Amino acid sequence: MARAAGVLSQLTCQAPGIMAHPGLPAFWVELVLAAVVVGIGWTLWRTGPPLRTGNGLSLAAWPIVGSWLRRLVSVPWLLLGLRILSAALFLLVIHAGLFGTPLPARNLATVLTWSLWWTGLIISIYFVGSAWCAICPWDAIATWLVRRRLWGRGSETASLQLRVPRMLRNVWPAWGMFVGLTWLELGLGITTSPYLTALLALVIVVLATLSLAVFERKAFCRHFCPVGRTIGVYSELSPVALRPIDSTICANCRSLECYHGTASVEPCPTHLVMGRLQENTFCTSCGACALSCPTHNVAWQTRPVGQEAMETARPRWDAGWFIIGLVALTSLHGLSMLPGWERWMRELGRLIGDSGQLLWSFSIGMGVSLLVPGALFAGAVYLTRRLLPRAVRFDRAFASLAFAGLPLAFSYHLAHNINHLVREAWGAGSVFLNPLGIGTLPLSEAEMQLRHLRPLVHQEVLFALQAGLLIFGFWLATRILQSRLIQLAGAADPGRLARLPVLAFITAVTLFNLWLLMQPMIMRM
Amino acid sequence: MSILRSLVFVMAGMLLPLAASAHHVLGRPAYSLNEDSNTPPSMQVETQIGDYFVTYMVFPAFPRPNEPGRINLYATRLDNDEPLTRPVTFKVRDDSWFATEEEVIGQQEPVDNVYRQGFVFREPGKYIITAEFTANGEPYSIDFPLQIGQVSSVGPIGITIGALVIILVGINLLQRKRLARLKTRDYHAGKGA
Repeated sequence: MARAAGVLSQLTCQAPGIMAHPGLPAFWVELVLAAVVVGIGWTLWRTGPPLRTGNGLSLAAWPIVGSWLRRLVSVPWLLLGLRILSAALFLLVIHAGLFGTPLPARNLATVLTWSLWWTGLIISIYFVGSAWCAICPWDAIATWLVRRRLWGRGSETASLQLRVPRMLRNVWPAWGMFVGLTWLELGLGITTSPYLTALLALVIVVLATLSLAVFERKAFCRHFCPVGRTIGVYSELSPVALRPIDSTICANCRSLECYHGTASVEPCPTHLVMGRLQENTFCTSCGACALSCPTHNVAWQTRPVGQEAMETARPRWDAGWFIIGLVALTSLHGLSMLPGWERWMRELGRLIGDSGQLLWSFSIGMGVSLLVPGALFAGAVYLTRRLLPRAVRFDRAFASLAFAGLPLAFSYHLAHNINHLVREAWGAGSVFLNPLGIGTLPLSEAEMQLRHLRPLVHQEVLFALQAGLLIFGFWLATRILQSRLIQLAGAADPGRLARLPVLAFITAVTLFNLWLLMQPMIMRM
Repeated sequence: MSILRSLVFVMAGMLLPLAASAHHVLGRPAYSLNEDSNTPPSMQVETQIGDYFVTYMVFPAFPRPNEPGRINLYATRLDNDEPLTRPVTFKVRDDSWFATEEEVIGQQEPVDNVYRQGFVFREPGKYIITAEFTANGEPYSIDFPLQIGQVSSVGPIGITIGALVIILVGINLLQRKRLARLKTRDYHAGKGA
């Protein structure tokens, strides 16, 4: 007996008919292709020492606004206010998800979570690095519950303060959670269910609270949080970060308040010492270091885009896989929103006897989407090692060269999310006025057409942004490749041939992402 | 809640004389407004089962107790898009883990390739509608959720608060024990010295 697996979704509430966003037009495609050809030529032609990225500039040194910005990071009330605001919005999302309309386009839970926050978050990373983590409501609520204080250093006895087991002291748990989140988002269709969105929010609060109550400091942020780790690796490309104003002060510091905290200020939640900070990956921008530093030597700093990924970030095997996973999963987001994806899933479902929401078929499709880029990149690294003038361990080469994948994932993620944001955030204002969607009806065909035809920015501007982002991602990836290859080869010039395998991977991913952007994309809600 | 009590009547053919023409776009019925409801459907589920692709809609947008509503079902073969012509039986049961009582609410023939099943529920609640048909000698069964009226969702909040309380109280007790043990050890160590 053929039987649809279980009950089909909680409520897949959608108006009938499928609307698709138009893909990138030929002009912009040709422009990206031309840029890729020029980029390949430049990467292969260029020889010599590593490219210099320049020095950072502390925002505290800026005239007029500098002193204001410096004061801003040293007062706790601003951050506390933002935390309370984000927690209040988060609780409203849960309330709307559980008690509001099941229509995703009319409920604050789905509109705020998936159309505004999840899409806007990735865009914000470029401008403010990991600042979101500082006001994250999951962590805020967990901290208030466990430490039983709104602000300041909580009681040490409120938590068991255990060390995270050695096998979990990496980003593999976060990687697993990110794969799970993507499965829920694209496979189960949680983005179209306010109820399931609220349930997910509640589950993560429980996990964050459990982690904070059991482990020392903020183990959830460092090892488990899929959003935090994604922000962490992406913020390696960001041109802003919290850094020492004067590094010599940090070099001579023996008390390390930034690490240990003070009587009133929490220690660094992720075990970082400001004076030795070389990468943004684990910094949650919580500002505890700025508050505890007796010399007020911590401030936001600008630096060249991608500097960490090129030069200072330490290659790690787990982080390398996380980056390649991001390359795969960001492309899967685009792939699963193509009209053809549904057809492929149906064919696969018939082949394996899947039914209902075709979750097995989706899981297989997702697994293949993860495996193919991973295998291609591993192959490219293997070839690169053989072409390098000196022997390098595979894991070291893999982790180091994986940084080149970071701008590819980030740029496509941005290009894809911008499309969602400008086309699906239309009408979000009305959701804030009626967060539970009381008395509302599903989007009519006319409203869907209106959204489709009236994006928040002009369509040509959107296309220009998408094309520009792909070119930016390709350009930055080639720069990171050159820089990391020189590091791997030591003082020697790695030679043009050694660049070829990973350059081929970068080109393949860019062209695939370009193809995805050329296709019409199904509207999410 | 008894289904027998909740389900006042189901008139399978009630709406058939009113059937408006269904417009087919790419093999799917494209409804925006419905012939007996001036609202779009609240739910559209598209699913694949065996050799068939099934589309299911509920009218009106939010069915309420004591108000007539309707399920539209449309099924086509995956290989040649040929619509299903065999009769479809609709059943209903409560959407709960322990619900076993199931009741047939009607058997429908297609009109314009669409199976229409009317319903009126007396009490709000969450139900499971099962659509069953046979094709090429093989039985098919598909479950769809159906919500009538406003249903309380305090369950997840209760579970979350319960989990948080267990975590916080449990950790607190463990920590107290641990501190007491440390104090005792320190005391004995001090005595020994």
